[in-house]
Amino acid sequence: MSISFKVNGQVRSLDVDADTPLLWALRDELGLKGTKFGCGAGLCGACTVLFDGSPIRSCSTSLSQVEGHDITTIEGITPAEGLHPLQAAWSEHNVPQCGYCQSGQIMSALALLRENPSPSDDDIDAAMTGNICRCGTYPRIREAIKAAAEARKTSDASVSGGDGRAVS
Amino acid sequence: MKPISRRGFLKVTMTSGGALAVGFTLPGCSTFKTGFDEKEQSWTPNAWLQVDRQGAVQFTLDRVEMGQGTYTGLTTLAAEELDVDPETIDVVFAPVADPYKNPLYKLQITGGSTSMRSSWLQIREAGAGARALLVAAAARVWQVDPSNCMTRDGIVSDSNGQRSLSYGQLVELAAKEKLPDPLPLKDPADFRYIGHFKHRLDAHAKVTGTAVYGIDSELPDLTYASLLRPPMVGGKIGSVDDSAARAMSGVIDIVQTRHGVAVVAEKYWQAYKARQALKVSWNQEDAVLKSTADVFAEYAKAADKDAGSTKRDDGDYDEARQDADRQLEVTYEQPFLAHATMEPMNCTARLTEGGMEIWAPTQAPDLGRIAAARDTGLSPDDVTVHTTFIGGGFGRRLSQDYIGEAAAICWQVKRPVKLVWSREDDMQHDVYRPAMLHRLRATLKKGELTGWDHQITGPDLMDWYARDAAPAQYPWTPKFMWGALARIGILGEGLIAPVDTSAYEGAVEYPYAVPNVVVRHTKADAGIPVSYWRSVGHSHNAFAVETFMDEVAHALEKDPYEFRAHLLRKDPRRLAVLQKAADMAGWGKPLPKGHAQGIAVHRSFETYVAEVVEASIEFGEVKLHKVFCAVDCGRAVNPDIVRMQMESGIIFGLTAALYGEIDFKDGVVQQSNFQNYRMLRMDTAPRIEVAIIESEADPTGVGEPGVPPSLPALGNALFQLTGKRQRRLPFKLEV
Repeated sequence: MSISFKVNGQVRSLDVDADTPLLWALRDELGLKGTKFGCGAGLCGACTVLFDGSPIRSCSTSLSQVEGHDITTIEGITPAEGLHPLQAAWSEHNVPQCGYCQSGQIMSALALLRENPSPSDDDIDAAMTGNICRCGTYPRIREAIKAAAEARKTSDASVSGGDGRAVS
Repeated sequence: MKPISRRGFLKVTMTSGGALAVGFTLPGCSTFKTGFDEKEQSWTPNAWLQVDRQGAVQFTLDRVEMGQGTYTGLTTLAAEELDVDPETIDVVFAPVADPYKNPLYKLQITGGSTSMRSSWLQIREAGAGARALLVAAAARVWQVDPSNCMTRDGIVSDSNGQRSLSYGQLVELAAKEKLPDPLPLKDPADFRYIGHFKHRLDAHAKVTGTAVYGIDSELPDLTYASLLRPPMVGGKIGSVDDSAARAMSGVIDIVQTRHGVAVVAEKYWQAYKARQALKVSWNQEDAVLKSTADVFAEYAKAADKDAGSTKRDDGDYDEARQDADRQLEVTYEQPFLAHATMEPMNCTARLTEGGMEIWAPTQAPDLGRIAAARDTGLSPDDVTVHTTFIGGGFGRRLSQDYIGEAAAICWQVKRPVKLVWSREDDMQHDVYRPAMLHRLRATLKKGELTGWDHQITGPDLMDWYARDAAPAQYPWTPKFMWGALARIGILGEGLIAPVDTSAYEGAVEYPYAVPNVVVRHTKADAGIPVSYWRSVGHSHNAFAVETFMDEVAHALEKDPYEFRAHLLRKDPRRLAVLQKAADMAGWGKPLPKGHAQGIAVHRSFETYVAEVVEASIEFGEVKLHKVFCAVDCGRAVNPDIVRMQMESGIIFGLTAALYGEIDFKDGVVQQSNFQNYRMLRMDTAPRIEVAIIESEADPTGVGEPGVPPSLPALGNALFQLTGKRQRRLPFKLEV
């Protein structure tokens, strides 16, 4: 039986086992390999994607749960030219080391800034604590989020989230 | 930088694989070969560089990138001497070939924080040699002396700036020029990128999700494998009932290998699900059914019985004892630790005509060939290993077990297969940082530390590692000799293999000016697989040394910083980082109520690091506020990468200090995933401030040295807070 949902603005239909986690469908059926497998149990956040705009763990979300919904992945926020403001802040602050967790980190940060354009340290803690980075890039992630929030404040231009929604 | 596409990666490794493996010698030698490839329309002056007619430069990176920054750091070395912007260089990962062996190990290994140290001259010479040939070619065209030519951003111009030729225009001519001897290396005063370049060349790929890790490898007709391993150390397959699993959706085959029972399916999820339906009984005849307490009891017994081999003996400790006013004696216990890289172990394999191709995130591709050959009917030369970006290494990927497993499965099912470990597999079937037992004694007289005796009890890592490493050093030896080679490798320590210092490194170099010093290693191996873990022996020895130094300082009623500084007065580099970290932290000045600081200093992999950790206790839990870190790694090639690695090492070390423990019960690991093998997270990680000591010394590594001082610095802070000494890791507060 085919399951349909929107990925990065496009409707996709997949004919795979309905209990397949979204993570493996994104990676192996749709070739969207920016979303990573880390723990398979919703404990590390490497597989974070947006589900109707909210961050979820795609390793613990079955395809049957996403039927008819709207999924955004790291590929969906990367503009054709240049970088999304959050990606630019990440790059500017030299956040990634091994880089494996960073797609998930960026998706969690994106959801945070959409809800809360000027997050406090406590807000950042609350939003980002589900994402483990074994390389310990937390101090730089915090700075990059603040820098992206600041850039948003000082810029008049509306910042697109790549999936047609504003960052905040 | 051009982000590496998966297709680009495959194409590059395939075209360069054969060509680069032959005919190259190290730069600087008179037999330096150059060649212009008509077909590729490009010039390969040496094993690391390639320049095409358009002037595009390709750099072959012979150390893997697992977060530590070699991708940027080594490319910067080549760019500096070749005089091109690092951002314009296309970086590809090296295939297995002799020029790419790590000169410190004679193996193609990335580890031991050696990349910058071992490549500093080698890669600069590769760049300088290529540049010299381009300059010689231009000089010949203009009929001028090469000294009248300058280079900048891929262009050679003559000294009055009238004429210029691009590197692309010169490649064919440069291939015919001879290398000058000696090679003209740049004066450090002229460096434009070394010490100045601030970015990471892999950042773009890693923030857009386009960096290709091992787990992202893709092949036509790929199948997926999930492997059920014996839950207990040393268990073997007893009986298997796979009837239910075979009937499940997508299952292609179920095979038994020496590692366990593998389910191969059309999709990963199908393989993983069907694996849960396997009914397997395990043969425990040769199993190691120990619990953690048994291991420490064994160690204690060994330490009682065997004083150990003496690794250092200064002065006369026994005399110091007889002479002492007072003696101290402590025992420290440190647990098994998992690496827990974010990218779980994985390997993709396919059969080719007469051989096998492997894609894997490995720190040692030439050992990967040995692992694949061991589990198939192939010889190492039949196996091609492609390396990828690596989602965290920390020493875990020096072991090649996951490559052997994938090769064994592929060999049986004869289909391209990707083996992916679950997080539980990763936690429970790691090769662990060994548990270690430390006994330390000190003699005190008239307010001074007069004697130091450190007995370290635990295994030698080379006993485990030689199995793969020894055959890789002699890959032409027939397979039946590999077992013997491993034994010879261990016996031949210091002759044909490096001396295994892993158990006592960081203890034997005890730096304080104390007249009587003994360091001993009592070998005790519990039979539990162990390996290299970020900073290796330093990870437990720095804790022992720097915690006991703190205990001695308190026993003598001296300030722990002043006490150390006084005894380091003849060790200027170590003293400088200690003073710097103390200054940054405002050591001795009033702190917010309930806060305390602890200090530690340690040298590992030739890099000096001191750290001050500031912590408090809130709601019965340790709260990490701030870490102040000073590092001396010689010349900092990329200062921000140095800072990043210190931050990373500190968080890695503090994670182990607060949470790290792999616990065995009857041979079975009790931890399974991140809920019971916890990590520092955004809300619990400290703020970190790093200072780099200015230096013109040759650069040394930074991937590991941030780790060792962090554990004792925190323990020492907790003593200040609670008055209770933490002698066992991970730290536990009394309820």
